[in-house]
Amino acid sequence: MPRNLNRREFLKLAAGASAAAGLAPAIHSVVIEPFVNPPEEELPGQATWYASTCRQCSAGCGIVVRTIDGRAKKIEGNPLHPINRGKVCARGQAGLQVLYNPDRLRNAVRQSGGRGSRRFEALYWPEALDLLSNKIATLSSAERLAFLGGMMPSHVYLLVTRLLEALGANPPIVYDLQSALEGRGAAAQLSQAIFGTPDLPVYDLSQSDVVFSFGANLLETWMSPVAQSVAYGTMRQGLMGNRGLFVQFEPRLSATAASADEWIPVRPGAEGFAALAIGRIIIEERLGHVGSYRSQAVLYEDVDVGAMAAASDVPVDILRRLARAFADADRAVAIPGGYLAGQRNGFASMLAVQSLNLVAAQVGREGGVFLSNPGPTAALRENPPVNTFDEVMELTRRMKAGEIDLLLIHGTNPLYELPAATGFAEAISRVPFVVSFSPFVDETAVWADLILPDHTYLESWGYQVPLPGADRPVVSSQQPVVRPLYDTLATTEVLLGLAARLGGKPAEALPWEDEASFVEEMVGELFGSSLAAYDARTPSGFWALWRQYGGWWSEKPIHREPDLTELVEKPLPVSEPQFEGDQDDYPFHLYPYSSIILSDGRGANVPWLQETPDPMTTVQWGMWVEINPRTASTLGVSDDDIVQVESPYGMLEVPAVIYPGIRPDVVAIPVGQGHQDYGRFTQAVKGSNPMELVAPITDRSTGALAWGATRVRVKPTGRKQILARLESLDGKGRESLE
Amino acid sequence: MAKDANLSSESNPRWVLAVDLDRCTGCQACVVACHAENNVPVVGEVQAAYGRWMHWIIIQRYWEGEYPNVKARFMPVMCQQCTEAPCEPVCPVFATYHNGEGLNAQIYNRCIGTRFCGSACPYKVRTFNWYQPEFPEPLTEQLNPDVTVRTRGIMEKCTFCIQRIRRAEIDAQVGGREPVDGEIQPACVQTCPPDALIFGDLNDVDSRVSQLARSRRSFRLLPELGTAPGVIYLKGGETNV
Repeated sequence: MPRNLNRREFLKLAAGASAAAGLAPAIHSVVIEPFVNPPEEELPGQATWYASTCRQCSAGCGIVVRTIDGRAKKIEGNPLHPINRGKVCARGQAGLQVLYNPDRLRNAVRQSGGRGSRRFEALYWPEALDLLSNKIATLSSAERLAFLGGMMPSHVYLLVTRLLEALGANPPIVYDLQSALEGRGAAAQLSQAIFGTPDLPVYDLSQSDVVFSFGANLLETWMSPVAQSVAYGTMRQGLMGNRGLFVQFEPRLSATAASADEWIPVRPGAEGFAALAIGRIIIEERLGHVGSYRSQAVLYEDVDVGAMAAASDVPVDILRRLARAFADADRAVAIPGGYLAGQRNGFASMLAVQSLNLVAAQVGREGGVFLSNPGPTAALRENPPVNTFDEVMELTRRMKAGEIDLLLIHGTNPLYELPAATGFAEAISRVPFVVSFSPFVDETAVWADLILPDHTYLESWGYQVPLPGADRPVVSSQQPVVRPLYDTLATTEVLLGLAARLGGKPAEALPWEDEASFVEEMVGELFGSSLAAYDARTPSGFWALWRQYGGWWSEKPIHREPDLTELVEKPLPVSEPQFEGDQDDYPFHLYPYSSIILSDGRGANVPWLQETPDPMTTVQWGMWVEINPRTASTLGVSDDDIVQVESPYGMLEVPAVIYPGIRPDVVAIPVGQGHQDYGRFTQAVKGSNPMELVAPITDRSTGALAWGATRVRVKPTGRKQILARLESLDGKGRESLE
Repeated sequence: MAKDANLSSESNPRWVLAVDLDRCTGCQACVVACHAENNVPVVGEVQAAYGRWMHWIIIQRYWEGEYPNVKARFMPVMCQQCTEAPCEPVCPVFATYHNGEGLNAQIYNRCIGTRFCGSACPYKVRTFNWYQPEFPEPLTEQLNPDVTVRTRGIMEKCTFCIQRIRRAEIDAQVGGREPVDGEIQPACVQTCPPDALIFGDLNDVDSRVSQLARSRRSFRLLPELGTAPGVIYLKGGETNV
C-alpha cells in the first residue's frame, strides 16, 4: 500500500475492490469502481434471495435463487410453494448452467450465409423487430403465418394466442417431445372424457395405501416429478406405522419401478388389459368396500380375465392378488402414465386404468384422484393445450405444400423432437421465412433466417398456473433474479413490440408497455381474494408480496370433486395394441424413454447434467440401448458392444447396456443425446437421436403420437464403445479401464 | 473455530446425516445440488470413463435377482465423516484432520496430493483433481464465493457443506439463539425431493437424526471396520414402527 494513502481513500478503494471482485470473480484484470450507489437490495458480499419459478420443465415448481453481487449462485426450492415444498430435482438445480451457458446467443442474429450456414450476423433489436413486423404486415393472408410452440408458461401463451387472434391467424400449434412422452395431450383428453374437464387430475400418492402406476415414471419426468417425489416420501415413511404399497406396470424397470415394491413386466401395449382384468376381478369377487362396485359392473361386461392375463403376460394369480390389495385398501389410486399414451391403443388403456379409481370409489377422495380447484386463478389458467400429432402433421403438410410463408418457433425444437420420418426438415426448407426464439442455436434454429433469443427463465418476468396442480389453487410467479446477461429480449417483449409496430387490432389486443406491466396487471386480478396465504392491503403491496412469496396460493387445501360423465356407464373398450414393423423382421419393441437427467434432450447442453450418472445404468455423457441379458446372449452382444438398431424408418448405431430389468422382447433407448447442434457439450457425446427410428403413427382415439409402437431389429457390429459409467463392470473399482 | 480445541467435548454438536433408503428414489438431485454448492468441477466423458469423476455424492445402484424377479436398489454414498477415520492418520501433512464437531475436514492449501487418504478410505468417496478444473466463461459466474475453487493436485470430498453449517450458526448467533434442529441443511438435504436425507446433531437426543439413529431400521456402512461413520442409513422396505 502506498504510504501517502489516507484512511478515507483506503476505505473507498477497499470497498470498491471487494465489490468489483464480487462482480467478476474469475476475471484477472478488474476495473476498480466504487460502489457509491449500490442497487437496492444489494450489499457487497451479502446474499439476496429471489423467489421465482423453475422452467426446466412445465411443472411450475417454486424456486428461490441465492444471488450475490448481482450474480445467481444457487437455486433451491421455495419452501412455501405448495407444489414442490422446498425441493427441486436435478434439472432444476442445474438451471444456473442454462443462464451461464457459454453457448448462449448474445444478441439477435440473422444467418448471413443463408439458412443452415451457421454463420451469424448480429442484428440491432429495433431492426429485427421492424423486419419481422414487416414480414407479418406483408403476408398475403394471415393464414400463411404459423406459430409452433412448446410448453410455454401461461403468460407467454396468453400473449401468443391474443396476437395470433388479432392478426386473424391460426392459433399456435403446441408440440414438444416431453409432452408427447408424458402423454400430456392424451391425459387431458382422458380427463375430458371422464371428468368433463381438460384439467389434469392430481393423483394423491402421499395419502395412499396402494398405488398402481401403469407406465407413469412419476419419480422421474412425468407431469410434476418433484411434487410426486415429495408425496412418494410421505407415502413411504411419512405416516406413522403405515407404508404404502407401490406397484409399477411397465415393460422396462424404470428408476420409478426401482422404487416400487413390485414391478410387473407387462407386454408392451397390454397395460390396459392388466387394468381391465384387475377391475373385472374386483367386480366378480365383490371385493372392497360394500357397494362401491355395484354401479360399475357394466364397465367390465366385455372383459375376460383369462384372455386379458394371457394378452398382458401377467398370470391370473398375480392379477387376483393385486386386485385384492387394491380393492381392500382404504385409500388406493391407479395412475395412467405416459407410456400408455404412446401406444396405438393408448386411450383405451388409459381409460381402463382410470376406471380402476371409479371401481374402487377413489375419485374425489384423499389418497385417490381429485382435480385441483382453480379458485380465483381461473382468469390466468390459459395454459397451452398440447396439440395432437395429427395437427402437427397437418402443419407439416401445409409447410411442404408451400402454404406457410412465415413460421415462428418458440420453446420447442421440432427438428430434433419430431420423428425424422415426419419430414419436418424438408417442410421447414419450403417455408420462405423462419424465426426462432431459442436462446441457443439448436437444430431448428439452424434452419431459421432470424434468431431472436429469448431471455432464460432466470432473467424474465412471468407467471404460470401449474397443471397438474396441487391440493389448492396455485399460481407460480416468475421474476428476473439477475439482470439479463446479454442483449437478448424476452419473447413477450418481442410480441408486445410487434403489436405496437403493427398497430390496429394487434396493438389493441396487446396494449401493454412492457413484460413487467403486463404481468403485474394480469396477476393483479388475484388481489383481494380472501383465500390467499398472505394479506395485502393495496395492489402495489400485493405485487410486492406476490414476488416475495414466489406466487399466489390458497392458505388452506381446497379439493374439487370431479363430476363423472355418462361415459362411465358404458362397457370399456378392449383394444388390441398395434405396432409398426413386422414381428418377424423386427422382433423387438422399441422403448424410447425420457431421461431423468436430460429430459427430452433440452438438458443435453448443461455440463452438470451430462456429468450426472443415469440412475439405472450409471452412464455419464453417453447414450446406449438397454437389452435383456437373455436376448443379449442370443444376439451375441455384451456390454459396450456397438449394435445396429433398425426400424422400418431408420437406423442408428449405439453401444449396448445389458439390463436385467427389461422384457426380452423390448429394447430401450433414452432420449436426449444425438444432437447435431445445441452447443459444445452436446457435441462432446457420441450419440444418435432415437426419434430417427420412431414411426410417425398415432393413436386414432386421441391423435397422439404413438411413440412406443415401433418395432426394431438389433444386430451386433463387432465394434465396441466403452461407456463412461460410475459402476465398474469388472468389480475392480475405479480406474480399471482397459 | 475455537471449538476445535476440545475434541471430545460433549457440548459440541456431532453432525450426522441420516439416509432413508426407503425414501430415496435415486433421482440425482443431490448430486447436482452438490456440484452447484461446492464448486465441484466437471471432468468430461474421457476422464469420467477412467473413474476420475469428481462427485462428492454418488447414488450407487445394486441389481438383485434375475428377470423377471429383479430389483434395483439405490444407495447414496458420500463421505461417511467417520469418528475413527482411516483417511486421517495417513496424511503426511495434516491436510486431513478431525474437527471438534466430528467432521473430517480437508485443508486444501496443505494438501500436496499424495492421495494416501483416498487409498485408505474404505468407502471410496474422496476425489482427486487430476487436471486443472475448467469452467468455460461465463460458467465462473456460478461459483459459490463461500467455497474454495480447488486446483490440480488437490484431494477433495464431501464436507457436510461446512459453509452452510457456519452460515446457519452465524445467522442464529446474530439473532441471539442456537440453530434449531432442521435449520442447518447441506445442499443435498435441502433439495432431496422425497426427504430421504436428514441432517442434524447426534448429541441432541431430541433431534430428528437422533431419533432415526435409534430406529431399528438403522445401520452403518461396513461397520466391521470400526470406523464409526457419521452417516446413518435406514433400511428400505419396512414400516417406520
